[in-house]
Amino acid sequence: MNWFQSISNSLGSNAWVSLIQSFLSGKKKNEPPPIVRAESIAGRALTMVIAIMCFLACLTAGAVYMVNQSASAWFNDIASEVTVQVNPTNTADLEKTVTLVSLFLAKQHGIAKVLPLGPEESAKLLEPWLGNTDVLDVIPIPRLIAVEINRSSPPDLAAITQALETNFANVTLDDHRRWRAELRTVTRSLALGGITVLLLVGAATVATIVSATRSAMASNREIVEVLHFVGAGQRFIAHEFEKHFLTLGVRAGLVGALAATLVFLLLPLVMRALGGGSLAATEIKRLIGTAGLDWQGYALFVLVVIVVASLCMLTSRLGVVRILKSND
Amino acid sequence: MESERRDTRDVIRFENVGLRYGLGVEVLRDISFHLIPGSFHFLTGPSGAGKTSLLRLLFMSLRPSRGLISLFGQNIAELPASERSEYRRRIGIVFQDFRLLDHLTTWENVALPLRVLGKSEAEYKSDVTELLKWVGLGERMYAYPAVLSGGEKQRAAIARAVIGKPELLLADEPTGNVDPQMAHRLLRLFVELNRLGTSVVIATHDYQLMDQTDAPRLVLHDGQMEVR
Repeated sequence: MNWFQSISNSLGSNAWVSLIQSFLSGKKKNEPPPIVRAESIAGRALTMVIAIMCFLACLTAGAVYMVNQSASAWFNDIASEVTVQVNPTNTADLEKTVTLVSLFLAKQHGIAKVLPLGPEESAKLLEPWLGNTDVLDVIPIPRLIAVEINRSSPPDLAAITQALETNFANVTLDDHRRWRAELRTVTRSLALGGITVLLLVGAATVATIVSATRSAMASNREIVEVLHFVGAGQRFIAHEFEKHFLTLGVRAGLVGALAATLVFLLLPLVMRALGGGSLAATEIKRLIGTAGLDWQGYALFVLVVIVVASLCMLTSRLGVVRILKSND
Repeated sequence: MESERRDTRDVIRFENVGLRYGLGVEVLRDISFHLIPGSFHFLTGPSGAGKTSLLRLLFMSLRPSRGLISLFGQNIAELPASERSEYRRRIGIVFQDFRLLDHLTTWENVALPLRVLGKSEAEYKSDVTELLKWVGLGERMYAYPAVLSGGEKQRAAIARAVIGKPELLLADEPTGNVDPQMAHRLLRLFVELNRLGTSVVIATHDYQLMDQTDAPRLVLHDGQMEVR
């Protein structure tokens, strides 16, 4: 007796165990034919419905997961940086002040990196609003110092702000608090919207699969009745149907999940092919990151297949019980 | 047969059984009889007299509107649904409409009752083959029901009902679609089965068939039963 047999014996008769056993042991040559008809019109229609709904559910789950990941990444990026601004108005030696402030900041506890931006880089930040004009050479542009925070040992930003105000004139620290609050609202809204869409698609998937499985079960009514009349118990009949519908659910679900996987694998390539340098592609990339999924995202697809196949199995069991009740 | 004493060894016992469908009139009224193990009976009567309904009551696919039915000494009203399959396994039934599964071959259909008992193919292979040869379906073992004639389907249905050597055999018009020669052959099968201890109830219109044995007749008429 191998390890799997001993586990399955302890679990008893279960369609999932039977399915895994048949995958591990392969189809036996002299195995009797399945009692439940392997191919039927209702079965083929059900396979197609499951594959399509599984594809849509995986796409939705993947997209929601990706947007949530991107939103968390934005939030982490923004939370790990503060900006110090040196106002050029009434500042005698701007370059010297920037250097002194940078040195001061670098000495503070919890500061990982200090990056003063040059006049050209600061001017470039205004280009999207003012364009590339000579105006940028004329107007006083504040100088920015990007400060990266050590997230494992963060600095006391209130004390640093106080110290900057005491030691330097026209220097302010922006810890992005307002921006972070807005971003938190946006990310939470995105997550909530995504989960709502996922729940709706999930509910539609459940309703469609339950309905299609019921139809398929109705076409198998005669088989249930004959088995019942030749003395098969409810457990035997339910197991035969569970095996059949679980296999069907897993196969169709895998087709849907694989199609969704292909979409997510090809999405970055498609985006690149559409023109990675274009503004649209850049904006999409900013919104949803690299447009690729990590392993946890793909693990969600496996979960979708398991849920969908289990749903088919459960609905078929309920169908058997309903038919048997009407015959008793 | 007419004994009023309740015998727990009775295969079948009906006491004042009545049956109506919905709010309609009673199709069976005050039916009382009992059959001892190893008995052989014909169930007859005009069309619509309630033969099939009575067989369905016996097979627990209908519940009586009133009265008591016992099978193998057990009041079926008190039998939990989970235990009914155990009792059904002790009964072989031949349906008027055969009820063969179209996606299984004749051989697989006949083997079905043994398969649901959890037996391996090796255990019943020779029995199924031998029985099919006996009922004249040796050449049609691997044919699907869709290509069988009415008589062949009927013989396959009979073979399926008797393959498990049931304690009680119920047959609804088992010779309705076969020629007299095959009808005689099938009757011999039922008699042989009866000789081995199986109680047999055959619902039929076929007087020629009934005349071939001196088995008692349960005659249904106008919803009531008399024994001849």
